[in-house]
Amino acid sequence: MSQNRTLLLGLDFGSTTCSALIARKAIASTKKLSTPQIIYRATPVFTPFLGDHIDANEIAKLIQTWLDESEIKVTELFAASGIITGLAAQKKNSEIIRQCIIKQIPSISIVAADDPHLESWLAFMGSCAALSRFHAETPILNLDIGGGTTNSAMGENGNVVATGCHFIGARHFQFVPGSYQLCEISKYGKALLESFAIQKTIGETLNEKERAQLIGFYIKALEAIVQNNQAFFDSSIASMHLQAACLLPLRAMPKITFSGGVGEVVYQLAAGATAPTTTYFGDFGIDLAQAIAASPVLSADLKSYVPENQGRATVVGLALNSTEVSGSSIYLPSPDLLPLQDLPILAKLAFDAPKQDWQQALRLASLRANGACLQMTQLPQNLQQIRAFAQMLSAEIGTSHFKKPLVLLIEGNLGKTLGNYITNWGNLGIQLIVIDEVASRDAHFVNLGKLQQGIIPVSFYGMYSS
Amino acid sequence: MKKLSNLSEIKLPKVQAPCAYPATLHGRNFTFRDLKHLLGAADISKAGDRNAKLAADDEVMREAARAILSDLTLQHFFDNPLTNHKNEIDSVMRVNYDIDHAVFAELSHLTLGELKDHLLNTTGERMAQIGAALTGVMVAALTKLLDTHELILLAKKLKGIAVTKARTTIGSQGTLSSRLQPNHPTDDLNGMSFLVYTGLSMGAGDAIIGLNPAIDTVANIGTCLRHLDKLRRETGAPTQICVLSHIKTQLTCLDDGAPVEVLFQSLAGTESTLTDEFDVTVELLDNAYNIMQNKGALKDIAENFMYFETGQGSEYSYNKHDGMDMTTTEALCYGLARRYSPLMVNNVTGFIGPETHYDNHEMIFSNLQDHFMGKLMGLPMGMAPCYTLHSQVTIEGQQMATQLLTAAGANFFMDVYLGTDRMLAYFDTSGNDDQTLRETQNLKPAPEYLAWAVQRGIFAEDAAGNVTRGTNWGKPQIFCESEPAFQRLQEAVPAYYGGKNAGPRPANSVSRTLKANQAIGREAIYADLRIKELGDIKFRTLQTAATDKRAHLNNPELGAKLSGIDKLTIENNDVQIVVSDGLSAEAVHHNIPDLLPVLLDGLNSRDLKIGQPILAPLGRVKLAESINQVLQNKLTILLIGERPGGDALASRSLSAYFAYMLDESTQKIAAQFSGNASIQYEYSVISNIYAGGLLPIEAGSVIAEKAFDILQHKAAGNRLESMT
Repeated sequence: MSQNRTLLLGLDFGSTTCSALIARKAIASTKKLSTPQIIYRATPVFTPFLGDHIDANEIAKLIQTWLDESEIKVTELFAASGIITGLAAQKKNSEIIRQCIIKQIPSISIVAADDPHLESWLAFMGSCAALSRFHAETPILNLDIGGGTTNSAMGENGNVVATGCHFIGARHFQFVPGSYQLCEISKYGKALLESFAIQKTIGETLNEKERAQLIGFYIKALEAIVQNNQAFFDSSIASMHLQAACLLPLRAMPKITFSGGVGEVVYQLAAGATAPTTTYFGDFGIDLAQAIAASPVLSADLKSYVPENQGRATVVGLALNSTEVSGSSIYLPSPDLLPLQDLPILAKLAFDAPKQDWQQALRLASLRANGACLQMTQLPQNLQQIRAFAQMLSAEIGTSHFKKPLVLLIEGNLGKTLGNYITNWGNLGIQLIVIDEVASRDAHFVNLGKLQQGIIPVSFYGMYSS
Repeated sequence: MKKLSNLSEIKLPKVQAPCAYPATLHGRNFTFRDLKHLLGAADISKAGDRNAKLAADDEVMREAARAILSDLTLQHFFDNPLTNHKNEIDSVMRVNYDIDHAVFAELSHLTLGELKDHLLNTTGERMAQIGAALTGVMVAALTKLLDTHELILLAKKLKGIAVTKARTTIGSQGTLSSRLQPNHPTDDLNGMSFLVYTGLSMGAGDAIIGLNPAIDTVANIGTCLRHLDKLRRETGAPTQICVLSHIKTQLTCLDDGAPVEVLFQSLAGTESTLTDEFDVTVELLDNAYNIMQNKGALKDIAENFMYFETGQGSEYSYNKHDGMDMTTTEALCYGLARRYSPLMVNNVTGFIGPETHYDNHEMIFSNLQDHFMGKLMGLPMGMAPCYTLHSQVTIEGQQMATQLLTAAGANFFMDVYLGTDRMLAYFDTSGNDDQTLRETQNLKPAPEYLAWAVQRGIFAEDAAGNVTRGTNWGKPQIFCESEPAFQRLQEAVPAYYGGKNAGPRPANSVSRTLKANQAIGREAIYADLRIKELGDIKFRTLQTAATDKRAHLNNPELGAKLSGIDKLTIENNDVQIVVSDGLSAEAVHHNIPDLLPVLLDGLNSRDLKIGQPILAPLGRVKLAESINQVLQNKLTILLIGERPGGDALASRSLSAYFAYMLDESTQKIAAQFSGNASIQYEYSVISNIYAGGLLPIEAGSVIAEKAFDILQHKAAGNRLESMT
């Protein structure tokens, strides 16, 4: 049994904190992964900055500490994913972190910088996926509130149907702990002060009325998100706080859950815990949590819909959900072609899409220096359709002069047969890979890991909301 | 705890030359050539005994045999031991003679008929004394004289006598316990947790929480034992745990520090079955008992710590019954089991299939016989009247059996969630059934467990001691910390169907789904192969030795032989495809039309000589070898329907068996690799081909590529896997 168990690693580097999580899953007889068992959770620590710059030495030490504490070997990992967000994702910092991670974990798939929809998706999957499946008929909207952003995602029966991102967070205003004396203000914080004509700067202390104005804005903005009130974000100050709108489907009002650092405090307060002392974390996190708990709109479901892994939602989502597992009958004549990193997904096409669409997609793919990926959204239903589609594709591929791998990603269990017919049972002379049983994602890039026990890890990044 | 007697000191009779038993009944003359045949003829007619040519030809013959049995004394049975094929008393029979000789001396003059009448007139306590003085053969012979009422009445008098004790007390008057069996097809710990929580919430598992593992390795058994121990501790349920692997594996786990609380072993009524098939000897059992007495996890708590499973027909199904009928070999199992004062004996008559028990009547009556025989011999009998879909036993028959066995005083039944075993593909009693039996016959769980269950709101008990279902009955959520945690566990369980109950029964919607799935499964088995539904492939049709469906199901060997072999000649193909319905014609109908064209396209893409596909209705896996004896092809691919279980889609599951014929050079290598000097074929298999598993249209490619691998490497099975 032990040889059929896999290890999944997630690393999360954010503006405020960073953490790691390792889970074990068994490969079932269907070659799908079973429910996970979390075997290591690192205690979140502040992301090590020296001013605006990341401290590379501390990052390297942190990663080593996590690996040591978890007692796993890097070579035992089936899949490893990292996400770098917020301040940590600023260009230079991002590269430093990336290098530190890759040095210690060469096989890792890293997502950096602006991928707000992916963050929202991860937070939902890490906190609400099982809750949403339990309440399969009820839409759930999760707000993952961290230092810099609120990542919103609505899901039904465990599937995310809408995502968004707003610059609402705890650390746009930073204080000397125990007081409201300002010590850092983000550009969003400065704009907000200006919009309320609050003329305070670093070193000065915000009074109660000013704090109420600032927190009040955040609460109204959060209420606007959950009520699908897009008009709220028409004003110049509100629109500045909008990174990606969360367009909720017009259905019943969703149940509201929270995750992220602020979300964790919200649930502690709802459970009757005493609030930490004033600006204990040196930011607006506690005040924001208290205001959420006091908002009838936002607090309605705090006791009846309690998500998991609140403060660690992103890293849990990353470790457990960012990596899909292929089917076990993929078309992969040369396993040595893997791993393949940063493959662009150039098109999503149904098998019966117009021939010129397939021609154009194949032409684009043939021009990519490191190979490319096409997603098939609808598959042929019978052998006659397979033969016809394969014949068409085979003819087009023959004229496109492929020198690098072409990857077809499909949802159904048809990889080997599709690949065999397209290549005329291996006689076409193209490096074709058909990965099956992978759920379609709205993403720009995909990473394919090495073949292990007949399956491969597949992870997406560069997500968009369709 | 008792000290085991010395095996060499057991008093045995001398082996006698077999004698014939003549009789005349209403003008018909009969001669039974020996005691084994007399015993076989005296029983009701059962498939296993018919197949072994031991059953009576008709009712008159049966009654003639019973008349002879009635007049034989117990001393006659003592003096005429049933011997094995070497005409020796085997080790199981030897242990059966370990009886109370003082009591036997009082009884030895009684005829079997007199003994029967005496038992009907005496108390349960006296019956227990008498039972300890009887061998298994004597008890089996007596049982053949009993009708349904007598089997129930006599067993009922023994209720409360075979009471055993570990953390809970099992078998007391007024109780009905259960074994919670949280089997999972992949030993998923979350799935296991869910099934344990569900069973406990229904008041099940007071006898034991016992898992049949999917993987019998020390590492996995240890993991499962520790997980069950954790669940027991976390829930606080007063019960014991067990993982039903081989006794040697469990003892190794015990050595490794795993919580082996109760030691399990399957028993058989002949030494050859026990040793050759179960890899167990009486000496090993003695040793295991002594180890558990000194080192078992419950050594300071439990008075009983062994758990045995038996059931009529295993000796027959291995063709190692030494000429004895199924009831007699079953009674011999009990003679072995009582040596170890077990905590539980679980009888699984019906598990094997139609080759031993064809229909409800045979299954129900055998269960009543077994229960009575075990109880008379002092055993804490639990009953698992169970069935597979390829027999004529039905859920209704199984439920009748449970009501009758409860009336007879069975100590416990099984709790397999919704009655469908997710690992072993058979059907057993459920927690719903167990609670229904308690309510219809006014019974309670074991007292220690009941106190805990009342505390958890699973049961409610009023001042007068009346027990009813509590507010938390059937709510496994009470053991989970959150809704997501519950959801995650639930998602690890196949064939869940929503968990709704109506009173003690599953909700109608759940029952309808279960029954519909079974109906699909039976349809798959009993449907005839319809060649018109197999597409445009031009088959040549061959016949097996099974002349009809009933013969095919009742005698597995017929489907492995080809009939009319003289019509074939050597073909020397590279690949030959054979299609057979096996145990599911629907598997063929639903998969072959999509699968075979792809497979043929794949094979034809290579420079291979391929034989015209063969269709062979009513076949078994070994048919591949029978066909290839003549055709002499390198590789035979047999596409055959699998035995349906409880999942409707999976009832249409097909497998592909690759039989690779070894030539002179590869035979030597294969013999060295396998350790089998006479090996002729190597086998690979691809299974689970159906709409919910490996899709047939994809399977065609997978099978073609496997065939290429086998032919390229000139190897199949484990040897091929070691090369690729």
